[in-house]
Amino acid sequence: MSATLSLSLHCDAPIALAAEFDCASGELVALVGPSGSGKTTLLRAIAGLHRPARMQGFIRVGNAVWFDSELHISISPQERCAGLVFQNYALFPHLSAIENIAVCAYSTWSKSEKQAKSRALLARLGLHGLEQRLPHQLSGGQQQRLALARALMRVMPPGDLARPTDSTTTARPALLLLDEPFSAVDAPLRQMLYHELAQLHASLALPILLVTHDLAEARRLADRVVILDAGRSLQSGPPERVIRSPRNARVAQLVGIHNHFAGQFFTAENNAADPGVRQPTASPPSATPPLGSLRWGSLRLRVLDKGKIANDTAVTWVLAGDLLEVRATSQVEAQEFNQVECRLSEMLPLGEICVCKLVALRSGCQLGSVGAHSDEAGGWAPDDTLTLNVSTALLRQLQIVQGGTLCLCIPSAAVHIMPLR
Amino acid sequence: MDWQAARISFLLAALSAALLLPVGLALARWLATTDNRFRALVEALLILPLLLPPTVVGFYMLSLFGQNTPVGAWLAQSLGLQLVFSFEGLLLASLLINVPFMVQPIQRAFAGVAPSVREAAWVSGMSTWRTFTTIELPLIWPGLVGGMVLTAAHTLGEFGVVLMLGGAIPGQTQTLSIAIYDRVQAFDDAAAHSMAAILVVCSLGALVAVLGLQHRFTSAKSSSSAPTP
Repeated sequence: MSATLSLSLHCDAPIALAAEFDCASGELVALVGPSGSGKTTLLRAIAGLHRPARMQGFIRVGNAVWFDSELHISISPQERCAGLVFQNYALFPHLSAIENIAVCAYSTWSKSEKQAKSRALLARLGLHGLEQRLPHQLSGGQQQRLALARALMRVMPPGDLARPTDSTTTARPALLLLDEPFSAVDAPLRQMLYHELAQLHASLALPILLVTHDLAEARRLADRVVILDAGRSLQSGPPERVIRSPRNARVAQLVGIHNHFAGQFFTAENNAADPGVRQPTASPPSATPPLGSLRWGSLRLRVLDKGKIANDTAVTWVLAGDLLEVRATSQVEAQEFNQVECRLSEMLPLGEICVCKLVALRSGCQLGSVGAHSDEAGGWAPDDTLTLNVSTALLRQLQIVQGGTLCLCIPSAAVHIMPLR
Repeated sequence: MDWQAARISFLLAALSAALLLPVGLALARWLATTDNRFRALVEALLILPLLLPPTVVGFYMLSLFGQNTPVGAWLAQSLGLQLVFSFEGLLLASLLINVPFMVQPIQRAFAGVAPSVREAAWVSGMSTWRTFTTIELPLIWPGLVGGMVLTAAHTLGEFGVVLMLGGAIPGQTQTLSIAIYDRVQAFDDAAAHSMAAILVVCSLGALVAVLGLQHRFTSAKSSSSAPTP
């Protein structure tokens, strides 16, 4: 049974919320945002633990309505079938591991059914043999798994062990909510738990919401991310897309993009005056968008003009690091590339990769005549610093050292332009 | 040694502790979990008997329940209940002045239960009542024992209210603490000594039990709340 979570919540007080998204069955959506962005509040609102009187909107899971301000429906946490893993796990400290799970089992089950089911869940999460331990006798990772097992018990279809024909207990719409479940464990264990969650995700047919402030975690685990800021959902989409093309500067900042800069955008039509940018006249109109230009300090970069931003607009732009190329000198000029000569101002070797800080000097590298070019009159380069992860082997191969220059090849598609706000 | 007084004292202590337990439990849970705006007022009223001289409480109860007052007359006529100079009156006074001794330890115990644990129970499908019996009660029982022991010990030592309201009638309202006073007045130091010793031993025992219990409980809880990697 597929039960999609669809949600639209608006509230001014006590905590501002303005969130709209959905999460399909079997999908893992990560709610990403800094501390105080309302992620946990949103999760608590879904679980029914945060129910302010003035909240507007709805929370639906499949055909079940958990909250609807217009219909005056707001059911209790007990009636919502939500398995919630708390940030600090919130295990019952006086109950053994197996009792922690068994107390959440359906009351219609017999005692032996509850025990068998709880035992199976513990075994599934690698806690076999620890049934009688109290929570404080478990390690951090084991506590986390126990909390997950308890949440899973809550969302188990009751017919699993019970009589399969029992129509009153067929699967209820359920979802799994994870509130920063990895924040209390150390890095090596976290990697292992990531792996386990990914496996679990593949085997569960229900919506899963993961709250995290760590975009890398979201990128690794989630099918989609929802970026939250001050209780407001700013953007949602597959993690790669959100990271590559954040909707606005705030999103870029929130998703931790280092390379975001200010610039001035000019559309394709107004680009004719710029001798450096030739329009791809031969290509059919349906292919790549025409090329506009971006003024960055004294440099001009060719960028894609998707027709969304007006001419001569102040913009924020970001660079997709994985599309950039580092060369020792400029190569044969290509229409879709910008070549910028940069000075390697700082390098921090981290084994296989090296974090490099680059200062743009001029465009066109040693060719200078074609390609992105600097305004002859101005002559000043932007004083922004680019941060780039470059393979250490490549730097050695190209014989680039700190203080030296290199040619940075920026494809038009690597530049994502967005409005200031 | 006045065995009648000892019997009255211990009966009063046991009844006070037993009758106050459900009241204290309900009040303490409400105080520990509510954000009602009258909470501070209720808390202040509950602590008030700790600060007032017992004679003040005794005096007000006399003025309220005396036979010449409307309340006292009504109680005597319709229920046949006489609250002044009677054991029932002593018990009522004891219940009122012991509320803080019962409520405070239980309230502290409730406050020690992390809100997320309570919420985890709700999210796991447990009703409020089942959460209370399965999760909260087992976690707060040292507070319950503490409240009962403190109430009983304080009742044994109460003097002012008992004297004002009970009138020290031997066999009916004369408790150990009043009997000691009587014996000292009569220069019967030997009897006063033996009764005083009983009270010292009982009170000390009660305090050691409560503190020991709380210490054991807090150390067990601190080791359970910190996840060990």
